[in-house]
Amino acid sequence: MTSEQAEDTAVISFDGVSVTYESRLVLNQVDFRLRNGEFVYLIGQTGAGKSSFLKLIYREVLPAEGRVRVDEYDLGKMSNRQVPFLRRKLGIVFQDFQLLPDRSVYENVAFALEVTGNSGKFIKQRVVEVLSMVGLSNKRNQYPAELSGGEQQRVVIARALANEPRIMLADEPTGNLDPDASASIMELLQQINNRGMAVLMVTHNYDLVRQFPYRTIRINSGKLQDIPQSKIIAAAKR
Amino acid sequence: MSMSYVIKEGISGFRRTPLASLTAVIALMVSLILIGILARFYYSAYEIGTTIRNDIEIEVFLQDVPEDRRRVIRGELQALPIVDELTYISKDSAAAVFRELFGAEGTPLSDLSFLPASYRVRPVADVPADTLVRYLSVVRDIRGVDEVSFNIELLRLIDERLQTVLLVGGGLGLLILFTAMILVFNTIRLTIYAKQSIIRAMKLVGATNGFIRRPFVMEGILQGIIAGILANGLVLLFFTRILPYFIPQFGVIPWPFGRWYFLAGALMGLSVVMGLLGSRWAARKFIKDATLS
Repeated sequence: MTSEQAEDTAVISFDGVSVTYESRLVLNQVDFRLRNGEFVYLIGQTGAGKSSFLKLIYREVLPAEGRVRVDEYDLGKMSNRQVPFLRRKLGIVFQDFQLLPDRSVYENVAFALEVTGNSGKFIKQRVVEVLSMVGLSNKRNQYPAELSGGEQQRVVIARALANEPRIMLADEPTGNLDPDASASIMELLQQINNRGMAVLMVTHNYDLVRQFPYRTIRINSGKLQDIPQSKIIAAAKR
Repeated sequence: MSMSYVIKEGISGFRRTPLASLTAVIALMVSLILIGILARFYYSAYEIGTTIRNDIEIEVFLQDVPEDRRRVIRGELQALPIVDELTYISKDSAAAVFRELFGAEGTPLSDLSFLPASYRVRPVADVPADTLVRYLSVVRDIRGVDEVSFNIELLRLIDERLQTVLLVGGGLGLLILFTAMILVFNTIRLTIYAKQSIIRAMKLVGATNGFIRRPFVMEGILQGIIAGILANGLVLLFFTRILPYFIPQFGVIPWPFGRWYFLAGALMGLSVVMGLLGSRWAARKFIKDATLS
């Protein structure tokens, strides 16, 4: 694929992006492409800048220099008012589930559709659809505290999927889960990716990266490096 | 955006953070009670002052002038912008008034023909004392006018007192309002802080700041309505039961503009506006600064 073709199909692109925190250079002249329907792991040590990388994409942080594009948005040129509309194109999943504890599974998912102004009839239909997609149709009336960690993360994924985003950003989605629950979340993300959604996942879990192999990049000293699968396997064995 | 969603979320805000909501309602209610009680007392003081002021009359004593000159003087007085009402007191009427005022003590003066005829002038309400003084000199210069009597010192004193009442009352009212706004702002900020997880979740799924803010503003309005109803009930209770029971003479002080519902309406309006502004102010700042991670 030529760089022009990659540009055409890229849903996220970074060009010469730098980020500084309190005069510390976190990302240094970074170039990156996430293509439509691609699955990419982002790895790196704690404090390497992985979260900053994601914050750039959902525009919680602006680059000190360079250009970030997400779908049709040039993030440096967009106004603050447009940020919510950018976030509707992204399904965001965090390690801490960020579910509303006083609302049922159904209400937690419906809430994402209510705040984006959908009609009641559509909301009902869509919530049933996404809950079935994540395998939680039978738990729709339960509250987050009544669910396991893996199930809670499924609700978060269902909520992220509700508005049919083009890109899924997952920041350590298996960080609080046991190996079985982690594998099941990975399978779910794989299914979502197979439906054509691009997935960018931050992780520390090399076993998962080995078990579900996709393009892997590492942030190291503010730079991005593509990591060959062989290195991942070697690292996981250690 | 669905209005039913905003109302539903606004109401459920009470259920989710009952203590913080109750604190906001109480803060607002206490401020309104203070404002309501002060408003009625200050309004009464102001009205009493204004009534006394409007009762002060100007007496224009005439020389012994013929009938046609007297009519000219009347015309000239009526042409003055400070004159509201004009009453002619003939020499005979003046004597009758004298006898009425002094009764038996007036009898030694069997001949009261020395009392001059006069015009009693009621000035237009709310004319400043300095303006009156300026026109009084014009009146004195009218040919046929002997003397002008007017208690300018009393008028100045009343004006000064009225101004003090207005300044102190207005200042106190503003101070209470400001304190109440800060209290309401902070309590609503606490309720919003208690809901930071919902704000983060809303931002996460792409809700606009306006959308996130609306249920909080609705909650502020509801708090205002509840506080307004409670404060009105307590202010009415204070003026119709408590105050007359302990200090009966205060039971007769007038309601602002004559009816209780003007004060009640004003308090209710103020309460809703304060709830709305306080919540909007707090929500706007908090929502703008909230981050996703």
